[in-house]
Amino acid sequence: MKNLEKLLSELQVQKLQTQTRRHFLMDCVSKVGGLALAPLLFGCEIGKNGQAKDGLNLSERDLNPLAPLPPPFAGKAKSIIYLHMAGAPSQLELFDFKPELAKLHDQDCPESLLEGRKFAFIRGVPKMLGPQAKFNQHGQSGAWVSDYLPHFSKVVDEVAFLKAMHTDQFNHGPAQLFMQTGSPRLGRPSLGSWVTYGLGTINQNLPGFVVLTSGGKTPDAGKSVWGSGFLPSVYQGVQCRSKGDPVLYLEDPSGMSRDLKKKVISAINQANQEDFESIGDPEILARINQFEMAYRMQIEVPEVMNINDEPDYIHQLYGTQPGEESFANNCLLARKLVEKGVRVVQLYDWGWDTHGTDKDGSIDMGLRNKCRKIDRPMSALLLDLKQRGLLEDTLVVWGGEFGRTPMQENREGKVQGFKGRDHHVDAFTMWVAGGGVKKGASYGITDDFGFSGIDERTSVHDLHATLLHLMGFDHEKFTYDFQGRPFRLTDVEGELIRKIIA
Amino acid sequence: MIDFVFPLFGRFHPILVHLPIGILLFGVVLVFLSKKRETAHLQSIRLAFLLGGLAGLLSSISGFLQYQYEGFAWDSVQFHFILGLTTTAASFWLYYELRKNAAFPDHFRLKSSALVVLLMFTGHLGGNITHGETYLIEPLPTGIQELLGYSNEEAKGLVLPVQGWEELAYFEQVVQPILNQNCKSCHNPRNKKGDLDLSSYETLLTGGEDGSILTGGNSEASALFSRLILPKDDEDHMPPKEKRQLQKEEIELIKAWIDLGGKTDSKLGDADIHAELLEPFFEKVEIPFYPNVSVAPLSEEQLKELKANGFFAELVEKESSWLMVSCVNFPQFSESDWAKLKIASQQIAFLDLSGTQVTDQILDSIQTLPNLTVLKLNQTAISGEKLGELQSISNLKNLYLNQTQVTLEQLRPLQNHPSLSKVFVFDSPASSEESNASFSFVLEKGNYQLPPLPTDTIVY
Ligand code: HEC
Repeated sequence: MKNLEKLLSELQVQKLQTQTRRHFLMDCVSKVGGLALAPLLFGCEIGKNGQAKDGLNLSERDLNPLAPLPPPFAGKAKSIIYLHMAGAPSQLELFDFKPELAKLHDQDCPESLLEGRKFAFIRGVPKMLGPQAKFNQHGQSGAWVSDYLPHFSKVVDEVAFLKAMHTDQFNHGPAQLFMQTGSPRLGRPSLGSWVTYGLGTINQNLPGFVVLTSGGKTPDAGKSVWGSGFLPSVYQGVQCRSKGDPVLYLEDPSGMSRDLKKKVISAINQANQEDFESIGDPEILARINQFEMAYRMQIEVPEVMNINDEPDYIHQLYGTQPGEESFANNCLLARKLVEKGVRVVQLYDWGWDTHGTDKDGSIDMGLRNKCRKIDRPMSALLLDLKQRGLLEDTLVVWGGEFGRTPMQENREGKVQGFKGRDHHVDAFTMWVAGGGVKKGASYGITDDFGFSGIDERTSVHDLHATLLHLMGFDHEKFTYDFQGRPFRLTDVEGELIRKIIA
Repeated sequence: MIDFVFPLFGRFHPILVHLPIGILLFGVVLVFLSKKRETAHLQSIRLAFLLGGLAGLLSSISGFLQYQYEGFAWDSVQFHFILGLTTTAASFWLYYELRKNAAFPDHFRLKSSALVVLLMFTGHLGGNITHGETYLIEPLPTGIQELLGYSNEEAKGLVLPVQGWEELAYFEQVVQPILNQNCKSCHNPRNKKGDLDLSSYETLLTGGEDGSILTGGNSEASALFSRLILPKDDEDHMPPKEKRQLQKEEIELIKAWIDLGGKTDSKLGDADIHAELLEPFFEKVEIPFYPNVSVAPLSEEQLKELKANGFFAELVEKESSWLMVSCVNFPQFSESDWAKLKIASQQIAFLDLSGTQVTDQILDSIQTLPNLTVLKLNQTAISGEKLGELQSISNLKNLYLNQTQVTLEQLRPLQNHPSLSKVFVFDSPASSEESNASFSFVLEKGNYQLPPLPTDTIVY
């Protein structure tokens, strides 16, 4: 109690020192006006069923926005791990085998492919670029995978491929936003936010939605790709770092003991509690909860984010090196987080934009190097989830924001120094695995050059609809009211891709 | 007269029909308000029946014109039309009776009531024509709909049996259901877009505006097929692009039927069709994951109590009694805490005790959960000696024993468990045991490796 009194009196003094007569006059003007305005603005203190919240009839959600909720129907999956290859990997070197394209290598692109099309960089008539990888069929399912992904070739029977994905954005930023939020413009909640909003979190000591990045940069679209849009901001992704402190400012400052921290927090919470008792605003209770959660997280987050104690064979499986910022470490962390009850883990790996302008951005060298860095970890992630039984109810999604052209990129009409491909919206490959996904399935067929899908095409909205379905939502009914109308992740589109659902 | 006047007047029918309804009802209300020999309202009542009759006449004429100009089939409007005329005649007759007498004629209340019934019935039939016969049925709960004999078969589309599909009548049982689901809303006797009715084989043969839509044996020449494969943006593409689109298998089935001759006597098995094509339509018997018995759900207070005791506790789905309980934030959970779970012993279907302090004794308690479907005991001191007790939980499907002390021998008592389908024993003594013992469930031992490859170290 002593702490609280001290805190309050200090606050009182500070307030008095800064308050002047002018403040009083200003307050009179603005607040009386505000009073008149209040009833005109709905939505501020009005609860879901239209009644003002009175502090007595509070739902668990009012107190704790991350409290769990049951899914509308029992979905197969309880968590998602989304591996986003920012920059967009080439489907033509990894999964979409096009022997016909090889025959056209270095010839002028047929006019029919260019008619009425726009590309991000290609101008005029480019040359065709044959596949730069060697392909083979693998596993029971006979899935085509190239020699760029030798480890992944061994786990293909776990996944379902979507080989005729299409999008409508050919620049990285908008395309990433579209892939993650269902809209190429800012302001919509990300898939992870929707899911966390809809289901809450399992482990109350960890964030519900964690984001990990690798490859040296964050995605071009910025942090909005894991933003919460118009949903309350508690549902946005929490970016954790795999190197150094996992969450910035979570560590106690030096000289501050945990006991002292506890005292500070309980004093603040007492003050808030008193405030709540006099005003009755549930936001205050939510705030109290957040302080407590942050305090608990201080212990649990560093623990789960530490991979040093994993056994050697796990490190060998993933190819992890503790202390680095790498996709491998992030994959291992993703497994640990999901095992601990985190709803959504999103990995962004940067550096897949292979235009052929330099060696790192070349299809035959840079892309191979990138693939080597994800091949073992992502295959290991599938196997590790499988052996722990986590693949039963965890969805794993892999893909970029669009695909790459069957043509050699020719920016400014010039031949590039290296082999490269431009951004391409009409056809690309993604894969999904785990909770409720049909193992070894392949859906979607592209034409002989891998330019467009000719059958079983799937849109970004279709993918979202399917992922939500697997998590237990009907994407058409899962809405949030904002600016006077209900919003969906899938806007007004999206059809379930039934053939990849087990 | 100028051509447009009749059709235009016809289109006023939906407005005009409300006049007789209102006016005649008003008259009948006055009849019931008057005492037997009271004549105060008599004038007004006369006027009401006269005006009602005239309004009825206008409605009938406009209705007839609409039928003439808007392509309605006589079959679908005949009763509405006849009853409309009858209502009109009845109003005039009642008016005539009132004119004749200075007081109410005999049985006048009865006669006016009959008029109301007639009026309502006519109105209802008219409503059915504009809004569809199921207009009032649709909002009802499905249970009541079925009770009334309406089923939602059409919305479901094509469903085929896995066995014996070869014997199905190709048109009646395959093509027609596809048309019903996707085309009938615009091509039916009441609503004939393009003057085409696809609700039966006979009307299909009749064709539409542009004549026949079916050329047996030649799908390319049949509009019934060729319109389906036009690009989605083409004006002539069917169904119009904002509607549900046909799956490619459905189109394939229609094509095959036309190529087979487009007759009603062929069977699905006559066509050169692979079962693979039919895969999407096969009836799927959904076996629910959680038990198929009904148990009362926990009350909100009980659920709160579980949460307050430190458990993660949530329904597996909104409208369900089954509960998922986890100790993810309750690592100190041990046998002595079991009492806290007792209130939910019927409802717990998913129990995760991973990482807690439990020992083999916990299985004595766990076996009292009859509906348990998933059990996780990872990272605990379980040695496995009591696993046999799980034999009595007849719903158990997935059992997680990763990072425990379980051996293969101890899994033996679970052999031939009625429902157990997967057991995970990664990182336990059982996972490293070499044995060719086979179990009635899938045993996941893990220990996966990705052996190093030469390419692992090549940097380009
Ligand atoms: C949303 C309403 C709608 C649906 C659903 C619809 N149609 Fe149509 N259909 C029309 C309209 C409007 C026309 C007339 C305009 C035209 O000829 O394109 C038409 C015309 C046609 C014609 C040409 C008739 C003729 O002789 O001119 C055919 C054939 C046809 N539809 C077949 C189908 C089939 C098969 C389906 C279902 C797979 C279908 N339609 C579903 C609205 C629809």
